[in-house]
Parts: sequence; structure tokens; C-alpha cells
Amino acid sequence: MFEKEILYPILNSIKQFPAHNAFCINEAHFTYAQLGQCVSKIRTALQQCSYKSTNVGLVINDDLESYASIIALWLEGNCYVPLHPDWPLERCLDICEQVELDLVLDSSKKSRYDGIQVLHTSELVYEKDYLEPKEGVSDEDLAYILFTSGSTGKPKGVMLMRKNVAAFMDSFWKTGIVITEEDRCLQAFDLTFDVSVQSYLVALTKGACCYTIPYGQIKYIYASGLIEDHKLTFGAMAPSMLRYLKPYFEEIDATSLKACILTAEACPLNLMEDWYQCATNTELYDFYGPTECTIYCTYYKLTKGGKNKTLNGIISIGKPLANCVGLILDESGNELPSGEKGELCIAGDQVTKGYWKNPEKNESSFFNKEVDGKKMRFYHTGDLCYKDEDGDIMYSGRLDHQAKIQGFRVEMGEIEYHAREFLGGGTNVVCLAFDNKDALTEIAMFIESNEFNPDEMLAYMRTKMPSYMIPTRLFYVPEFQLNMNGKIDKNILKSLIK
Amino acid sequence: MNKNEIIEKLTPIFREVLEMSDLVLADELSANDVDNWTSLTHMLIMTKIEETFGITFKLKELKKLQNVGDMITVLEEKTK
Repeated sequence: MFEKEILYPILNSIKQFPAHNAFCINEAHFTYAQLGQCVSKIRTALQQCSYKSTNVGLVINDDLESYASIIALWLEGNCYVPLHPDWPLERCLDICEQVELDLVLDSSKKSRYDGIQVLHTSELVYEKDYLEPKEGVSDEDLAYILFTSGSTGKPKGVMLMRKNVAAFMDSFWKTGIVITEEDRCLQAFDLTFDVSVQSYLVALTKGACCYTIPYGQIKYIYASGLIEDHKLTFGAMAPSMLRYLKPYFEEIDATSLKACILTAEACPLNLMEDWYQCATNTELYDFYGPTECTIYCTYYKLTKGGKNKTLNGIISIGKPLANCVGLILDESGNELPSGEKGELCIAGDQVTKGYWKNPEKNESSFFNKEVDGKKMRFYHTGDLCYKDEDGDIMYSGRLDHQAKIQGFRVEMGEIEYHAREFLGGGTNVVCLAFDNKDALTEIAMFIESNEFNPDEMLAYMRTKMPSYMIPTRLFYVPEFQLNMNGKIDKNILKSLIK
Repeated sequence: MNKNEIIEKLTPIFREVLEMSDLVLADELSANDVDNWTSLTHMLIMTKIEETFGITFKLKELKKLQNVGDMITVLEEKTK
């Protein structure tokens, strides 16, 4: 399934369109022939390495080697574990240790990984093609492991199997979106985030060109430049990117966009109506999905100039994709009638095998339920939703303390954990996500203490977490008020945010 | 406004938004050098600059801003 849906289409693009561009990275173009050579040289070198774990670390630089490494690893039957060059080394090493990696592919001039075997992919020389998929690799084997924020202070690894990715790809094309070798596609997401997988696969499996955003560039500004200058025809974006661009919509020419996916965050209708004004030829889609269900599991196609379903101004997340089953369940796991709110639970071939070596989380996050006489394994999304009479799913909020910051999942508990580690266990810390006046989500941190200079604490936290997890507003409260249940009253704290 | 006056006004904005009370602005300083200089903080910085200097940026101008030096040049131009 993975070979048919993913590997053969990519190999076909390399063979059929050697002179077409596969990537545009930092204003440099790379053809499919160059991609094929880069994959071959990495694959050849991989075979000469001696390593035990099929899970291989990949430093995700913004270059051809990093993307080619993914394909080389997949051809070889391996799984990639992305390691972000801008994340604190300590967090990356924790990931390496958790997954027991014994090989890291790194295209950096100087690798940060000393204690592990490193394959320096930028130093390799191409000799001959080596693109046949290895035989005997199972669809149950892993394709990638992504680490997301964990509420206990440690990031948790979501394992995606080859069959998950294949099922996703099949689901995706069944939405009716068409991409050909003439298309130019935006890849606006870090490779630690799974929408990147959709972004590069959609282009590479069809022979289209994939346009990336270099590190150190301000994403929304660079993306708008790519859309205009290179006349991009397709792209997935987080609504917050458009939110940042909104003041400049009048200046943007996005008429080249044929289809545009909004994902990773709740998607407000009024923003989309404004976006239609610059992206006049586009079909807009709202895609929803947690990493655990392989990129997307439901979608809603917007009607331009017509009526679109919303709840509190947020566009419906629509219906499940072809290979997904989505039910709204009550706390006892019974399906709720339409109109009633409950937890959205997802089953089907896109659902992850589970979290890496985390039996407790695996026990609590997944459950079996019989649907139409068939036993299915479901994932608890933690998202509070209901279905309308047509079966379209409306998103209402989270059941827990997770928030989306610029599209990234953030557990408030993880931030609180690291702040407490620094402050000493006795200090109460509460983190709350809130929407600022520009309707962008920020994190506020409340510390039960008199005011102090937070530089040292923030510097410490930056060594533990990526920058999007660092609170942007700090409040010092001499004493937290308790609510009737004897818990810290978060509503009072929230009211301090102006 | 001259370069020094601009730096004097820019420094507290950068220090506050990037949460670095000892940040020193240099021409070459860019989002590459500062971890939490992201889309969100960039937008916050730009909004504060617009408020402080009483100006508005065009997207075309924002695209040219690759570092603090570029910002100062654009601000010199716009506050003439």
C-alpha cells in the first residue's frame, strides 16, 4: 500500500519528469533528476553505515539533503525522527534517547550530535542510481515518529506506520483536489509538524514543485512573497498566517492559487471571506486532524459567496475523510445524536499505532468499540464537537489544557512543569492560552509570587522548550484565589489579561 | 529621525517583545539570531513600531526587512 501510494509515485516523478523542478529552496531550484541523485547517494551511504535501530534521526535543515533523506530512509524501510535545528539540544537528545537512535542524518556543516553516529549527508558524492524500494518491508513498519508536547513535562512520540501514510494519501486524493506536474506547491511547515508531510508528498507524488520557507525568515511574509513571485497554485497554511497578512491583503496578488487548505488551527469564516478577495480563483478547504490520525481526518470545502457552516464564527471541520470514521461520543463511549456535544473520536487506517514506549498514554488515549458489528480501534481527540443533521462536524473547543500556538500543539502542563522546575517545587504556576486583540493565540503565565526579574527563568525555559512554547505575557499574583472546588480559580486569573 | 534616535526608540520595543532585557540592537541582528523572534513576535514588534513612530508599513517594505539594519534604513526614510 505504501509503495503504491507513496514510493512508486515519487519514483515515477523522478523518472518521468527529470528536468522538472522538484524543489525551490531559498530561491534555488532543484530538478527531479537532482532529487533522484541526492536520494541515491544518501541511500548508498546508509547501506554502508552499521546501525541497529530502524528509527533514524534526521536533522531537518531547509535543504535538498533533508528531504532526500526522508525518501532514502523510506526506500530502505526505515523511519525518520525529525530533530529540529532550532530546538534546544537537550530536547533533541531526549528524543534520541527515548527512541534509542543509533544513527542521525545531518546535512549541517557542523553537527550538534557528538555521542551518536552521524551520517553527514551534505558531504556525499553521487555515483549511481539506487532507487528500488527494499523488498520485504511491511506496511506495519513505521514511516515517521513525531514528538508533540506532553502534559507531564516530557514530549511524547507519535508512531505513524507506512499504512497510515498510505491511507492518508488515498483519503487526500479522494477529496477531489487535483495536482499535476504543472503545479507549484507551498511547503510552509517545519518537518517536525505533520502538515509538512502532506505538503511535500502532494507535490512529489505528482511531479510538482515544492516551495519551502527558509529558517530565519518570517513565515507569513516569505510565504506571501512565494505565492506572488512564483505564482504558487496550491498550499496549506495555518489560519494565523493569514491573520498576520490580513492588514496587507489589498497588496497581495494570490490569483494564481487554485486550491488552498487551512489547517492546524480553528479557522474563522470572516478571515476566509476576506482571503477570497485576494485569492480570487481559489477553492478553500478547512482540514482538521491530530498527528495521531495522520495529518488530516476530516475536511470541509467552503462555498465562495455562499453559506458556510460555522459555530461561533469558526468554520465546520466537515466530514471524515474516506479512510476515517469519526463519531461523537459521550463519557461512557455511547454515540450521541446529532446536535449534542461530545468528544470527537476517530478510527480507521490512519490512526497511529500509539505513543512510543508510553503504555499509560496508550491505555488512556485509545479504546475499542463496535461499529456496525465491526470492532474498531478509536483515538480520543480531546476535541469537543457535535454533528449537525447533515453529518458535518462543528468544533467547539478542547476538553483539556492543550492549545494551538501558531499551529503547534502545546500542553499548558509542560510549560508549567518547566517553570516550576526552575522556581522550585513550592511555587504555583498556571499557564493559560488566550486570544489577543488580533485574535492570535498567546500564552500567559501566572506565577504566585511577588514580581521578580524573569530573564533567568525565561532563559532556562528556552533551554527546555521550542520558542513557541515560551509564554509571551507574565503576571505575578501574590496569592491565587481558589474556586468552590478548592482549585485555583483560572477565571479570575484569565480576567487579569487585558 | 537619525539612526541613533531610531535605535533608542527601537531598543525598548525589541527588549519587551523578545523578553530580553539586555538585548543590544546591531545592524546585522536578524530573526536567525534570536530564538523567539518568530512570526508572532515579529508581528508584535511591527505593530509597536507603527504605533511608536506613527507610521504604517506596506507588505512590500516588510519583505525587504532582513535585519535590524534594514529596519533602521526604512524607518529613516519614513520619518524624514
